[in-house]
Amino acid sequence: MKAAVKRLVSMIPVLIGVMLLTFIMLRVVPGDPVSIMLGEHYSQAKIDRLTRAMNLDKPMWEQFVSYMLGAFRGDLGVSYMMNKPVTGLIAEAFPQTFRLALMAAAIAWAVGLIAGITAAVKQNKLPDHLFMGFSLAGVSVPIFMSALFLQYFFSYRLKILPLTSDGSAASLILPAIALGWNSAGSVARMTRSSLIETLQADYIDTARAKGLLRPAVIFGHALKNALLPVVTMMALQISSLMSGAVITESVFSVPGIGRLATQAIQNRDMPLLQGTILFTTILVILGNLAADLLYSVIDPRIGDE
Amino acid sequence: MMMTKKIMALLLCGSLTAGILAGCGGSGSEGQTAEAKPETEAAAEEAPAADEGAEEAAAEETAAEEPAAEESAAEAAPADGEDKILRLGWSKDIQTMDVHRTTDNYAVPLNIFDRLLEVKLNEDGSTELVNSIAKDYSISDDGLVYSFELRDDVKFCDGTPLTSADVEATFTRMFTLEDSVQTDFTTCIKGAQAILDGNADSLEGFRVIDDTHFEIELEEPFAGFLSVLATPTCCIFSKANLEEAGDDFGMVPAKTIGSGPYMVTDWKTNDSLTLVRNPYYWGEPASASEVHYKVYPEPSTFNMAFQNGEVDILDCDFLDSSIVTSTYETDAYKDKLIRVNRLGTYMISINAGIEPMSDVRVRKAIQMAVNRQGILDSIFGGHGELVDGIYPAGSIGFTAENQGWLQYDPEGAKALLKEAGYENGFDLEISANASGSSNIASIIQVVQQNLTDIGINAHIETYDESSWLAKRKSGEMPLFAGVWTLDYNDPSNIIDTFFGSAESTKGRSLNYADTDVMARVTSAKSIVDETERLKEYADLEKKIVEEDASWVPLFALQHTFVISDRIEHFTPHWAGYGDFNAYGVTMK
Repeated sequence: MKAAVKRLVSMIPVLIGVMLLTFIMLRVVPGDPVSIMLGEHYSQAKIDRLTRAMNLDKPMWEQFVSYMLGAFRGDLGVSYMMNKPVTGLIAEAFPQTFRLALMAAAIAWAVGLIAGITAAVKQNKLPDHLFMGFSLAGVSVPIFMSALFLQYFFSYRLKILPLTSDGSAASLILPAIALGWNSAGSVARMTRSSLIETLQADYIDTARAKGLLRPAVIFGHALKNALLPVVTMMALQISSLMSGAVITESVFSVPGIGRLATQAIQNRDMPLLQGTILFTTILVILGNLAADLLYSVIDPRIGDE
Repeated sequence: MMMTKKIMALLLCGSLTAGILAGCGGSGSEGQTAEAKPETEAAAEEAPAADEGAEEAAAEETAAEEPAAEESAAEAAPADGEDKILRLGWSKDIQTMDVHRTTDNYAVPLNIFDRLLEVKLNEDGSTELVNSIAKDYSISDDGLVYSFELRDDVKFCDGTPLTSADVEATFTRMFTLEDSVQTDFTTCIKGAQAILDGNADSLEGFRVIDDTHFEIELEEPFAGFLSVLATPTCCIFSKANLEEAGDDFGMVPAKTIGSGPYMVTDWKTNDSLTLVRNPYYWGEPASASEVHYKVYPEPSTFNMAFQNGEVDILDCDFLDSSIVTSTYETDAYKDKLIRVNRLGTYMISINAGIEPMSDVRVRKAIQMAVNRQGILDSIFGGHGELVDGIYPAGSIGFTAENQGWLQYDPEGAKALLKEAGYENGFDLEISANASGSSNIASIIQVVQQNLTDIGINAHIETYDESSWLAKRKSGEMPLFAGVWTLDYNDPSNIIDTFFGSAESTKGRSLNYADTDVMARVTSAKSIVDETERLKEYADLEKKIVEEDASWVPLFALQHTFVISDRIEHFTPHWAGYGDFNAYGVTMK
């Protein structure tokens, strides 16, 4: 418990660091939001007016300090382009991304574990080759491609699932598969190799020697130990799910966090981009924390000092 | 300790499972409703939706207004329950519906607001200025005072009438709003600059006479002003709504009230936006009872949605040109393609301030050397119209008399070069902007080849955007390709920008030398008689491009749309924008 609290406290400097980095990077890259907003025709007077209105005339450190103080109060500023508070936009978009990521994770973990276990048990036999081929495809095919393929096949040809998201959960199935396939591949591969290694351990021989049935050995003794690295990876995959969501959300028109981020980049919408990056950072840190906690739960030998 | 861990593990697993189940559970029930909703059922729903919208709008007003609102709403709702929903797509969401705060989100404003005047797109592709909520207008002899009479039957979608005070509030806000981006073409109104400078808070040149009459006085004569009034910039808002909504105006549907054929009822960020008929609209009700916009960030998804029958009008700008050619420019779609002129002229600027292009014969040789039809055919599939002057095809000011004189003639060009003493050619830089459009980049490639063919040693030099702009503005760029899209439908917009003064022609790296002509360009703005004015603009065009060979006029392109089987007729925006008024769509 103490460790968890300690980890949470140590998040603060990380977050400040991330904020500072994004803040600086966004101001170093060329292209300024004012000229993008004004389009082709603008006078210096108009640029100045708008710069003032957007508080961009203040010194950089002052902008940063006021931004940071606001952030700790939960105020991430107002999006330049959408004219809405960033926190509100994130709150509106997050449930979409969350549902998508959750479904993707469920698919990834379920499929990945089943495929990995089957492949390990049937090592070098047909199911092994089959599942590993599937997972290799998952790891190697870019999400963009698999998303288009799924759309083409299931929505355009077979017309059994919606082409784009309309808020219903049915319309989330294809994006969740597209997003989860990649993770499923990694989970399957990791589960397989970890389980194969564990199955060679001495205590497995002992268990077999006791006369236990094969399923009991695999599920009762081997799997628990084999899953340790897999669990870590699954929690860490939250970050890859979030980044994959950027592409998936675009292809399937899901109005989530990833879309906010791409839009913010296209429009040089600094408050919105800072906000989405900060938010994603928090999610990833929490994911890591969950991984650590789960780890010590599964393996009691890893206590919390 | 062991106990705590077990409990934590249970909690963690529990919450994960619950979350997953929640996701899947939703999938079952919601999925069914989504799938079980055939088109007819969706259509049946539209009547109550329209009703609700009107009631909501009316609820903003006094209770006494309510019965009237319900009555009109009933009229607006289609009695036959037919599916009249127009479904459109966007590549990205709009940022606001407030035109004072955007220079490109015009789709919704075009639908929910009215303008004093409109530009009408004729079947033959020509355009003309027509009255809208302004019933009549007159211009004083000195060209300074515009007197308008409003229609007396114009109402906002909340039932309140639109009066002169609303027009005044709209124009005043254009200048008082701190982050207004729409001041360029309206600062000609007397007193506008004073507001921008912070020296006034009311618009001196705007005089309300009564509810339906008002005058606008300009600082100096500007005949293009009427065309400016017909642009999305000059959408008319409701004064009461502006005051009540504050910063919510343009952001919150219920707080964005207009008098246009539609009103906005729902807007989900990055997802969708819904328009329904304005029950109080003064004109004929729109054909489509509702307009649903959906955001499709990925072009191939957008294309598949059209193919799946989920979208009614496909804007080919969003697609790769190879897909447009292979899928839509086929027999199957030949009746479904709608093309409209984009009111923009592509041109190659020739710098008359640099040797040897100061010699008019050299400039004429360059004009003759460029294979314009070849460029149009090879790069743009022939979808455009050659322009031999300044004003783009379809715009006000474009005249047939000034067309047809410029022919591709490399031999003639060589002869002219020889006559000018450059039979062995000369070195010439074509300046390219690294961040410029791919259209321009492709054009430059062909132009380089064309110039090489007549013996000019042309080479392409690429600059990053800011250096490119700086060089152009310094007046030292020898030759480059560009495009000017009209901001408002008037010849003054383009000719002033390039040939209005020594300063502007230098800033465009043209260095046009004839000061008399430039003085005529400036004074043409003050000609009140329309026929006389357009004649002068045509004469100036002939002088500048045909006689003085200031630039190589190229072409104006077309914008292609594909319509679905549900659409009977579609009139795009007159300027060829992707944004259009759904009032111009007739559903089957």
